[in-house]
Amino acid sequence: MFIRYFMILMMLGGSGAVWSHDFTPTYPKLEQSYIEGVLKASMKLFNKRKDVRYYEVSVYDNEWNKIPFAMLGEKVMNLEYLETKYFDVFIQEKSRNKATYICTKTKLLVTDKTKAMLDSRICSKIK
Amino acid sequence: MFNKTLLSCVLLTFCASAFAVDVPVTGSVESRCVVTQDTVGVYGNPAPETLTTAPASGGVHPVVRYDVIQASYYMARITHPESFSDSPVLTDTVTWAGSTSTDQVSDANMSAYDTNKVEYDNVTEVDLTVAGSTWFKVESSADYGVDKAFPGGTYQALVVAECIAI
Repeated sequence: MFIRYFMILMMLGGSGAVWSHDFTPTYPKLEQSYIEGVLKASMKLFNKRKDVRYYEVSVYDNEWNKIPFAMLGEKVMNLEYLETKYFDVFIQEKSRNKATYICTKTKLLVTDKTKAMLDSRICSKIK
Repeated sequence: MFNKTLLSCVLLTFCASAFAVDVPVTGSVESRCVVTQDTVGVYGNPAPETLTTAPASGGVHPVVRYDVIQASYYMARITHPESFSDSPVLTDTVTWAGSTSTDQVSDANMSAYDTNKVEYDNVTEVDLTVAGSTWFKVESSADYGVDKAFPGGTYQALVVAECIAI
């Protein structure tokens, strides 16, 4: 079992030649923020995609309807290659039972080549 | 002379022990999903009315890799294109076709992904029930009108690769 985890870690660590999108934790918890009636989840986003510099954050219920939320910065954030960003997502306490997913999605820029591009989205599930 | 050498040796030993400091390297293993663009797709243009990622037609299938640390924490949802995100003005309809299948796996048990996958519309969903890496190959083709030539220009389509905690 340990060897399997080690191999996976090696693969993750050694994937420098390719471009990836990494968003954790898998199961964030909503905690009381410094504002009454507002909860927060602390998230971490790592950009290992050279072709992407912008990511959009969104929150959904279990039927993929958008839930209102707030962040201290822009909801479309600039993240340079190999940059890690820690941020808090603020959700109203009344949305606590509805909010299910916190997602980050790549925002791609138009290029001048004919190709199929990859738009990646990773969603964490609120526990 | 002997005393001087002995003193030097003692001083050197003392210095060495003073600089032998343990430098801790810490890390943690947590469940995560990493989505990686392994191969950039390219549309070939084998006939005036066709754009396809098939290698036999000069295209390249886009390949996306999913790495999961722990089994059964995530679902992969891959959507092959059904429209161009960027193209010249098209006055006729475009007929799209596509599919998603496993290309490579890091664990033999992942071979079940192709039989267990759920397909609807242009979406393929796979529960990532085995820890490790899976490479998914996306095939995509577009036909313009009835044997009508695509106008010259740049065409771009998006493959959407999602990793959703379950």
